Amino acid sequence: MLKVPHVTSYLTEHFAEDAFGTLAGYEKKGGYAAARKALTEMAPGDVIELVKASGLQGRGGAGFNTGLKWSFMPADSDVPKYLVCNADESEPGSFKDRILLERSPHQLLEGILIAAYAVGACTTFIYIRGEYSFPADQVERAVAEAYDQGHLGPNVLGSGFRHDVVVHRGAGAYICGEETGLLESLEGKKGQPRKKPPFPAQVGAFGMPTTVNNVETFCHVPYIVNRGAEWFRGFGTEASPGTTLFGVSGHVVKPGLFELPLGTPLSEIVFEHAGGIAGGRKVKGVIPGGMSMPILPAGQLDVPMANESLRERGTMLGTGGIMVMDETTCMVRVGCVISYFFRDESCGQCTQCREGTGWLNKIMNRIERGAGQSEDLGVLLDIAAKMEGQTICAFADAAAWPVQGLLRHFRADFEEHVRLGRCPFTASFEL
Amino acid sequence: MPTLTVDGRVIETAEGKSILEALDDAGLLMNGVDVPHYCWHPKLSVDGSCRLCQVEVEGFPKLQIACNTVVQDGMVVNTTSDRVRKAREGVVELLLINHPLDCPICDQAGECKLQDYAFDYGVEKSRTREPRRAAKKRVDLGPTIVFDQERCILCRRCVRFCDEVPKTRELAVFGRGDRSVIETFPGMELDNPYSMNVADICPVGALTTKDFRFKIRVWFLEDVEGLCTGCANGCNIYLGIANNKVYRYQPRRNDDVNETWMCDAGRLSYRDIGAPDRLQYAYVRDATGSLEAAGYEAAIGAAARRLRAIIGSKGAGVIAGVASAHATNEDLFTFRRFIEALGTETSGVAVPKGDADDLLIKAEKAANAAGARALGLGDASLVADRIRSGGIDALVCLGSDFLGTGLLANVEELAGLDTVIVLDTHKSEFSRVAHVILPTRHAAEKHGTLTNAAGRVQRLRAAVEPAYEAHPDGAVLSHLGKALGLPGFDGSYDVRAVSKALAESEPAFSGIHLDSVGDRGRVLIDPDASQRDREPEGPNL
Ligand SMILES: Cc1cc2nc3c(=O)[nH]c(=O)nc-3n(C[C@H](O)[C@H](O)[C@H](O)COP(=O)(O)O)c2cc1C
Ligand code: SF4
Ligand code: SF4
Ligand code: SF4
Ligand code: FES
Repeated sequence: MLKVPHVTSYLTEHFAEDAFGTLAGYEKKGGYAAARKALTEMAPGDVIELVKASGLQGRGGAGFNTGLKWSFMPADSDVPKYLVCNADESEPGSFKDRILLERSPHQLLEGILIAAYAVGACTTFIYIRGEYSFPADQVERAVAEAYDQGHLGPNVLGSGFRHDVVVHRGAGAYICGEETGLLESLEGKKGQPRKKPPFPAQVGAFGMPTTVNNVETFCHVPYIVNRGAEWFRGFGTEASPGTTLFGVSGHVVKPGLFELPLGTPLSEIVFEHAGGIAGGRKVKGVIPGGMSMPILPAGQLDVPMANESLRERGTMLGTGGIMVMDETTCMVRVGCVISYFFRDESCGQCTQCREGTGWLNKIMNRIERGAGQSEDLGVLLDIAAKMEGQTICAFADAAAWPVQGLLRHFRADFEEHVRLGRCPFTASFEL
Repeated sequence: MPTLTVDGRVIETAEGKSILEALDDAGLLMNGVDVPHYCWHPKLSVDGSCRLCQVEVEGFPKLQIACNTVVQDGMVVNTTSDRVRKAREGVVELLLINHPLDCPICDQAGECKLQDYAFDYGVEKSRTREPRRAAKKRVDLGPTIVFDQERCILCRRCVRFCDEVPKTRELAVFGRGDRSVIETFPGMELDNPYSMNVADICPVGALTTKDFRFKIRVWFLEDVEGLCTGCANGCNIYLGIANNKVYRYQPRRNDDVNETWMCDAGRLSYRDIGAPDRLQYAYVRDATGSLEAAGYEAAIGAAARRLRAIIGSKGAGVIAGVASAHATNEDLFTFRRFIEALGTETSGVAVPKGDADDLLIKAEKAANAAGARALGLGDASLVADRIRSGGIDALVCLGSDFLGTGLLANVEELAGLDTVIVLDTHKSEFSRVAHVILPTRHAAEKHGTLTNAAGRVQRLRAAVEPAYEAHPDGAVLSHLGKALGLPGFDGSYDVRAVSKALAESEPAFSGIHLDSVGDRGRVLIDPDASQRDREPEGPNL
């Protein structure tokens, strides 16, 4: 049995029960009632307005208002419209979508049905990260069950609405999580983000109007339909309503996934829910929202975990993947690992990203090897500035921000490496 | 029509144009308004990846790429701000960190956009201490192109070219991130009739043609505007000239003719100009029957003597004239006058044929077949038929296409003629039967106009001078006409005057002459109509 400790939960409330993953088990807990309600009692526009009113923000990283995104889809269209569920979850530190796919695939399908009805999509493509075999199996099984029971297909839940779901497995590239990189990959092409405009709502999958949402985003929707926008706004903060799944990893006693309201202080998550730092050591820094987000130092863990408050500290909520590092951590090594990831995963189209990610990584490695020079720190920041905000997709920003965060809060680590000509931390490793 | 303001300059543009297109259409791009760019090319799809073309657009917090930002009415663009400059510097520095800096041994040096923009936006001193990425040098991509992976800036113009223009799709980017490389698909070569264009559009020295590689440093070359004469399309070109020698042809943009492309066969046809089989002397067959080199004047005299003897004995009707579709409108106009003055009714033009496609390459493998038709010259099959039926004793032939177009079984069919006079640029089979051979100028060596398949009259310029005595066909005919005492032939040949006379006498060419066609050419005035008008008057015009 999987343990999901939670304080406030609806998404994960029944996760301890294996049966929740089956159609029968899900329906026993009231599953598909929201879809029935939306498809038979509400107009598509009302669904969009309800989700807008709930203030639900996308949980895929950018935090965009979901109802607003849906309203960008053309209402009248003589071509098919598509919905895409982004289950590529590849952000290091992030593992929330995986649990949702594994434990509650019907919750996802119900959210998808409601969204599809709202935007008028005929088909949803669920794009699942290549490495997620078990989650993909679970989703495929659930989709088959749903077709069997008439919850998918020509006459969804007897409402007359037609909807099909196609499960598509990715092949293991981080960049295929970026929504237009995903669309290219879905179409069988090399996973490279598209230049915008056009935006997916105009020209998306296979050239058709398309909305892309994250797995978790969809999962919130049935609850909003069932219980209302006001109820949803009862969780979280004014600007960031609802709960979210925080995945905590690193040097904590109890790493895991925690469903908590947005706005929960980072310190509460790290020290209460995740049991604090293992081995009685002190915390050094915490990455609050997946590896792309700038790190916070120990002194700033009081921050409420919502975009508006994290932004004030120069970082963002991202995917809610919290990575905790204790005092034995070499922040230059962290820089090496992070910059290696981005160097490896850049799709390579944009000059700044292709060349910048490699250069950042080479400098990080050199500093860690003890061959750094004091000018290198300025060069790192300058490269990061050149990469930020100038490329086809936000990947280059995601590669630049961690570097800026590390140098903002842990410059001393870098300077120490340069001064000593070696890494001052014991547990060094081969680069 | 949307209007945009760029650096205070107001530009009108068509609906749906990007900022770069608007600037390009207005003739301002890199010519008054500098928006440096690598991946954008006027004739390829938008890529948006090099990020060099970023500009400030009012109302947008971030810089926008000019190549993918559609102009909205009232848009205000700034291309000169500090932010824009910084962004350009960023791109250039990042492109340089892994660049091999091969300039001293790179063919592109001198016409390299990385050099140019590094000069404009580069930092003086490299800040990178890291080893540069090593990659493959001298990759043989196919029969025409050599690739240097280290120099490649991954603008993907070459990939898009192969995908979109010849649609042969040989190239792709393999790998990702800073391991991205251009390669041909496994088992494929870059081999299509337009392959060498990739070298022109490659902004750096990554793609070079085997033909031009290491021949000369480009700064020694002077570009002369001219035309390819490989087929009836009449692609606009630059001839790269140094020391009175043509080193290369490169396409010159003309959206009405060849956009920015040319075919490989046409590009390599520059080799004909300085070919070892060029005719460098006149030849005259002597009393013993052997063909011997002769002075030009002597050869004209010999030709005139032979023709005069025939006219004296049998009249001019037994003389046939064959024109060349390679000759200029002015040459052909003179040819027609020559035939008329002689008073024979047997003439035509020989047009070589070959493969065609729906891009540029035309089946007629000569630059001026349409011009010949517009001047009323019929098919040379008439001439062949009359030779075969024994009604012809003498032939005056421009060029050697008459032999290669299948009109004659072989050159021996001409062996029975009393007199064969040939005006030509290159040696040919004619040496077996000709009595007089007179050297003429290649299209790259003379002024004039050519009419392409679409009826567009375009300007030809003398880019090089032959090192020996050779004249344009029209001039040779004029010399011969004078020697024969033909009315209206005084031995002079002023191509400009001929062009104007042509424009005055031919309705289709009305107002269209060497000085009026400009650098994009002018289309004939309904060439079909003019041809129809001529027909009743018969060949004796
Ligand atoms: C480099 C990069 C990687 C991304 N990876 C993911 C991902 O794995 N899963 C995801 O849901 N969104 C990912 N996103 C965000 C998506 O582009 C997109 O914003 C999101 O799927 C929209 O869903 P939402 O509005 O429900 O958040 C990524 C974005 C970038 C720039
Ligand atoms: S920013 Fe990076 S990952 Fe995104 S499109 Fe450009 S090169 Fe690819
Ligand atoms: S080879 Fe040249 S044209 Fe092709 S991507 Fe590289 S730089 Fe661009
Ligand atoms: S298409 Fe014809 S005119 Fe154009 S380059 Fe080729 S041969 Fe020359
Ligand atoms: S020219 Fe616009 S991005 Fe390359």
